[in-house]
Amino acid sequence: MSQAYQPPSAAAGSSRGPTVISTGDVVTQDRAVRYICGDCDAKVTLKSGESNVRCKDCGHRVLYKERTNR
Amino acid sequence: MPPKARKTGPAEASGAAETAAKAKVPAKRKPTAKTAPSSQSTTHVEPPTTQHDPQAPLQPAEASLPPEDTTRTNARQKKPHGGRNEDFEALLEPFYYGKSLTDPINTAKDKWNLLPAFLKVKGLVKQHIDSFNFFVETELKNIVKANQTVYSDVDDKFFLKYLDIRVLAPNRLDEDDLSYNKSAITPNECRLRDMTYAAPIVVDVEYRRGMTKIRRRNVRIGRMPIMLRSSKCVLSGVSPANMNTLGECMIDPGGYFIVRGQEKVILVQEQLSKNRVIVESMKGIVQASVTSSTHERKSKTYVLLKKGRLYLKHNILQEDIPVAFILKAMGVQSDHEILLLVAGDDSVYQDEFALNFEACATEGVHTQQQALDYIGARVKFMKKPVGGPMRRDNRADAIEALSTLIITHVPVHGLNFRPKALYIAFMVRRVLMAMHDPSLVDDRDYVGNKRLELAGQMLSLLFEDHFKRFNHDFKLNIDKVLKKQNRTQEFDAYFHLQSHGNHITAGMERAIATGNWSLKRFKMERAGVTHVLSRLSYISALGMMTRISSQFEKTRKVSGPRALQPSQFGMLCPADTPEGEACGLVKNLALMTHITTDDDEDPVRKMVFVLGAEDVTTASGMEVYGDGAYIIFINGTPVGITRQPKQFLNGFRKFRRMGRVSEFVSIYINHHHNAVHIATDEGRICRPLIVVERGKSKVTARYLQSLRKGTMDFDDFLSRGLVEYLDVNEENDSNIAIYEPDINASTTHLEIEPFTILGAVAGLIPYPHHNQSPRNTYQCAMGKQAIGAIAYNQFTRIDTLLYLMVYPQKPMVKTRTIELIKYDKLPAGQNATVAVMSYSGYDIEDALVLNKASCDRGFGRCQVFKKATTALKKYANGTQDSIGLKDYDPKNSRHKKLGRDGLVEVGSKLEQGDIYIMKQSPMNTSATGVGGSTATNPNDRRDVNMSYKLPDPSYVDKILITGNEADTTMIKVQMRQTRRPELGDKFSSRHGQKGVVGIIVEQADMPFNDQGICPDVIMNPHGFPSRMTVGKMLELVSGKAGVLAGELQYGTAFGGSRVEDMSDILLRHGFSYAGKDYLTSGITGEPLPAYVFFGPIYYQKLKHMVQDKMHSRARGPRAILTRQPTEGRSREGGLRLGEMERDCLIAYGASQLLLERLMISSDAHEVDICERCGMMGYQGWCQTCKTSRGVVKMTIPYAAKLLVQEMMSMNIKTTFRLEDEFPA
Repeated sequence: MSQAYQPPSAAAGSSRGPTVISTGDVVTQDRAVRYICGDCDAKVTLKSGESNVRCKDCGHRVLYKERTNR
Repeated sequence: MPPKARKTGPAEASGAAETAAKAKVPAKRKPTAKTAPSSQSTTHVEPPTTQHDPQAPLQPAEASLPPEDTTRTNARQKKPHGGRNEDFEALLEPFYYGKSLTDPINTAKDKWNLLPAFLKVKGLVKQHIDSFNFFVETELKNIVKANQTVYSDVDDKFFLKYLDIRVLAPNRLDEDDLSYNKSAITPNECRLRDMTYAAPIVVDVEYRRGMTKIRRRNVRIGRMPIMLRSSKCVLSGVSPANMNTLGECMIDPGGYFIVRGQEKVILVQEQLSKNRVIVESMKGIVQASVTSSTHERKSKTYVLLKKGRLYLKHNILQEDIPVAFILKAMGVQSDHEILLLVAGDDSVYQDEFALNFEACATEGVHTQQQALDYIGARVKFMKKPVGGPMRRDNRADAIEALSTLIITHVPVHGLNFRPKALYIAFMVRRVLMAMHDPSLVDDRDYVGNKRLELAGQMLSLLFEDHFKRFNHDFKLNIDKVLKKQNRTQEFDAYFHLQSHGNHITAGMERAIATGNWSLKRFKMERAGVTHVLSRLSYISALGMMTRISSQFEKTRKVSGPRALQPSQFGMLCPADTPEGEACGLVKNLALMTHITTDDDEDPVRKMVFVLGAEDVTTASGMEVYGDGAYIIFINGTPVGITRQPKQFLNGFRKFRRMGRVSEFVSIYINHHHNAVHIATDEGRICRPLIVVERGKSKVTARYLQSLRKGTMDFDDFLSRGLVEYLDVNEENDSNIAIYEPDINASTTHLEIEPFTILGAVAGLIPYPHHNQSPRNTYQCAMGKQAIGAIAYNQFTRIDTLLYLMVYPQKPMVKTRTIELIKYDKLPAGQNATVAVMSYSGYDIEDALVLNKASCDRGFGRCQVFKKATTALKKYANGTQDSIGLKDYDPKNSRHKKLGRDGLVEVGSKLEQGDIYIMKQSPMNTSATGVGGSTATNPNDRRDVNMSYKLPDPSYVDKILITGNEADTTMIKVQMRQTRRPELGDKFSSRHGQKGVVGIIVEQADMPFNDQGICPDVIMNPHGFPSRMTVGKMLELVSGKAGVLAGELQYGTAFGGSRVEDMSDILLRHGFSYAGKDYLTSGITGEPLPAYVFFGPIYYQKLKHMVQDKMHSRARGPRAILTRQPTEGRSREGGLRLGEMERDCLIAYGASQLLLERLMISSDAHEVDICERCGMMGYQGWCQTCKTSRGVVKMTIPYAAKLLVQEMMSMNIKTTFRLEDEFPA
């Protein structure tokens, strides 16, 4: 994945450990998390509560959660 | 080193054939003889086990995490690498094992080449697939043809006719109406998304709408689950190289279904054959019975001997009817004709049967009419008479019963009862014969009397039932509409046809998912037909596909059905059966077997008459049983007579070898019954054999050459009559030579390869013919528990439980079967260097000593994957479960590992108590409306978090989010543990020799040989004498020779690398010919006082690991009802002091210990007991006596108190009588 690192939006701390915990309130603002399509490997953003799990590019319905970089 | 050179090549041959070859082949030495290896040279042969680098770094579990990308790159993305893959494939073709195109061909040795050719077209799992294909392509159309038209009771002009039925390509449920695009569905997607791998069933119909006839094509009536690798499956015709682009393993055998995300196998069912007469003798009663089975009906008819008279028994008849009456009713009127039809001119049988005419005189039944009246009066009411008590017409009832209910498989056309009368006469004769000569009683356990029911047959029963119900419902529906006089629009049956679609779909899906086959029509209720495919290892999955379950009850104390049957030779594996309850009832198919599908009878019948047989229905009893006359039966029904049975048989076989009749039609002569039997029915086990004519095998070097070149395949061998299929009955009527030199003048067939009498699972054992037989059986059970590679797509699967070995190796000593079933590509075990010696005293009772450094290097290391799954359910009131950080508490350490979406981060380590899915469920889920307004906010939510329960930590391997068929979001979390061997883990060699790790020893303390090689495993020699697993010793010697020569050796059954050759190799490399080595003690540095048997043995790690079983408890949860400690590790239960242990303590007199174990530490409970009335009170008050006088406190087990109260609830008064504890 030669994609450039995209910093998390707003004040979502990119540092690891206890600092993430301090951003608990931020979490409620932006809850979109990126997933990876099981077919085409595209990054898919799902909003919380979004029921339609589907890759925006290829329409594949199996998504995997990205591995953590914490 | 011996100067006497021997053939040492890798090519192996089977016993006798090779001895013959050896005698002729002059001394020849392969240039493989290398100089004796230096002390280092062996290390590269088996790197992970024999390297003795004590500094090998211990790999942390974290390091074995797959890199980020590989986890989610779907295999489908990867493009095949053009032509290179195809080239490479040629090398992997089954023909070339150990042989190149130019090698000389020896028919005696190389005829086994037919086996891989056979396995390409038939065998192992192919019978499931063939059976399913037959069902989908042929049987389905027959079922529809049999139920072709639907009429209405209301409108006699209306009709609907099915013209054709087809199963389309599998697709997703939501793509069902899109006919134009080809579905990209894959089986793996169904597994991951918990879908059913199914295809739409479409019909072409013709029906009446108003005054016109309408035709519609491709009307969907339901969905059919599709067997993997069947002709309808997306995987059919896909090259092995392209298999992984579909997310599928190229070695996976297929033959199962995917229903609701689960892999389901319909096991092969064994049954007594249908439509065949079986003569039995039970407690002196001789009876002939036949189970008739047609599409319409199933019934059982008996002819039995009671007090010297013969009767016919059937469910429809109120009492048993003398056979003479039955025959008379069928139009065989004169006593003389009956006598001839039954007994022929044999005076013994005539005398025996003559008694039966007495009944005619006593009952006054002489004519057909009288007989029909007699029978009709005894026929049970078939249908309720419509409109009050109607007079029964006895004769009509009798004719109805005789023509359609008794022996239904013999059809009666135009009231011509002659064939059926003949059939009954034949049954009677069989009883007479068995009376006269008890040895003529049939053997129910004979494999030729059995039929195997496969997935296709099971599904066809199911589909037929559902289709009939579908038509019935459809008819009711249209009747309802047609009854209305004025309709708003013209009636179109099409819309009604569509509205029932779900019945067939849901019915088939439910049956396969639950395994409950309930057929209304046959009143059949069978549970446990399907099983979840065991994916413990590749072998366990494969073993499941060849398994045969018996329909006999298990409780009966007869050994017959469980015993090894001589007739199962070559058909069923003699070694592979479970121990204990199901022993001998669950069997496995041998390697080279096929199960027949149904063939058409008519061409065979024509062929019979072409070959000069006379019609049996026109013959008199005199002719049928005359001297030298043989009756010809097709599927158990007499059709003709011949006077030259042998000639007839040879003629028929010639036609079959020419391909004029199906190759699966079998013919054999039964000289006891003077009968020629032809079988075309389905479910017979058969296997191919080489045809021998005039003392010569028809398969010659020339044919084998073209086989190897690829210009001929197995079917060509069949069509040229070089090879033919024999079923059990025909096999037992043939003279089969096992090896080519054994052929003599009377030989009819030659065995293709003797090791094929074993099945796929028993085929893994090297040198099984040197082992004590039960050891092979034990290994068959254990091979299925070995941890190894499961499939090429094992990392893209998310199973509930998955065991994988980190560094599996292919065995040093392999077998032909291993190559054929490709076990060497998905192995489950490692080649451990074993020293057979005593060490440390921690190796008694089969315990093993493990080398710690070997464990560091990865010996026996395995990964355990566990799945946790949750669905975000939708409720009736529109609310829905959700995930997210609702109650996220930054200070709560259990929440630490969660990501922003409420799911744990992939790659993090989960410890006991950690929450990995934060999920909320709505408080109010009831459908809004009446009564539900309890002021609960629809947004009120409750936490239903999922937390990690196990004491040992796991790593989150991957998290999958998807929607299932109902469009509910589903989340699957896969967790991974990497485990190294520890004390108590179970290991086993391939010879039924299991053992647990007794101690793990530092490499420094291990003994070593001259080259510094340390054993990975030390095994106690006491394991050998009583077990008599000589095969294991041979495996060690061959394995050692293979390591030294740098090649793999063979341990194929009845063949394999010869010990002499192996000893030669050992000698040539400077080792002792016996496989023994000089070892030095690692503790003292002194030489060991004896030579030690030392070399590689393939060891399997079994799934039983201490980590999953270790358990202890001091105090903990208790059951609610009894207040006793809970049971089982999963509930943190106590360890039971059972009744036998209790008996010991009683016998010893340890009363205080008993009191402690059974009450104080368990369910002690303080109660108030009234001394006066003996009842229990409370708070010092007796409710019965209304007083507190005499109420005492005492401690009793809670279970005792519960018993008293339960008795009370049943109106049984139970009282305590108290005495002084310390009487004065």
